[in-house]
Amino acid sequence: MNRLGQQDVHQLQMISSPPEEDASLIAAVLRKDRKATAEFVALYADDLYRYLRSRLAPMYDQVDDLVHEVFLAAWESLPGYQGTGPLRAWVMGIARHKVEDYYRARLRAPESIEDGDQEPVALASTSDFHQLMELDELRRNTWRVMGGLPEQYRMVLIWRYWEKASAREMALKTGKTEKAIERLLARARAEFRERWNHAQPS
Amino acid sequence: MPNRPDDEFMERIASEVELTRPQVAPSRLKAKVYSALMLRQAESGPLMSLTETHACGHKLCVFEELVRIAPVGEAAKSLNICRVCHARVLAEQIENAPIYWPGCPYVVLKNS
Repeated sequence: MNRLGQQDVHQLQMISSPPEEDASLIAAVLRKDRKATAEFVALYADDLYRYLRSRLAPMYDQVDDLVHEVFLAAWESLPGYQGTGPLRAWVMGIARHKVEDYYRARLRAPESIEDGDQEPVALASTSDFHQLMELDELRRNTWRVMGGLPEQYRMVLIWRYWEKASAREMALKTGKTEKAIERLLARARAEFRERWNHAQPS
Repeated sequence: MPNRPDDEFMERIASEVELTRPQVAPSRLKAKVYSALMLRQAESGPLMSLTETHACGHKLCVFEELVRIAPVGEAAKSLNICRVCHARVLAEQIENAPIYWPGCPYVVLKNS
């Protein structure tokens, strides 16, 4: 259910509040304690905001709405929270599902990018890219290239490589065939790589 | 089948670069989310009364405290009185709004 990346899960375990604190907060929110509700928002708003911004980048105008949706969904679902994992991970799991819903809706829209059958040709080896740039530059280039990609390309890349979804999973959730998702991913990777190469200093 | 060199290239970038920039949610967004939650909670019945909220050890803002000690029934003390408070309006409209009342949930959110 809460299938965040391994690194995310580890970070969540490190920073999550103890189960008894989670239980106490949940009980207070369910009793409609206004101060506890404010604490609930204060505790998770920043994490949610960062996560949703990263997954929707650069469609930042959608982020606020999704933060709202996650909190309202959390409130609706809170009575069913089993307490089997940290509350923070549970809330982030809801966010992840909202992001998937968003991706699914956007990818179900008629595809504006030509759906060719040809697999892009493999580009140059990447074995030495670590030596070519510092991490900061890597980050800057990634953000810049991702920001310039067509929306569908950007979303499938984030979904596949940052959210670790398989093509099969993406196909099931979007109603497309696995082959169509693979083709879309291939075009997205090729476009990313081409823009990446253009973005390198000569 | 994935085009392996590009697939590996993307795997490596994703493992190196987190797309998240260190950021905090705008205080206006936190205020609006809190207001939305309070509205949603109030839709399904009264909120915890200010008497009980105080008994739970929470600090009330000056306006909540006035309502708490007022000679009115518990039903009135269970209303979402923030709906008529100017602090809420300021917090929802202005980033880091000039509101400072101790115990005010919007101040708590602004400072979080």
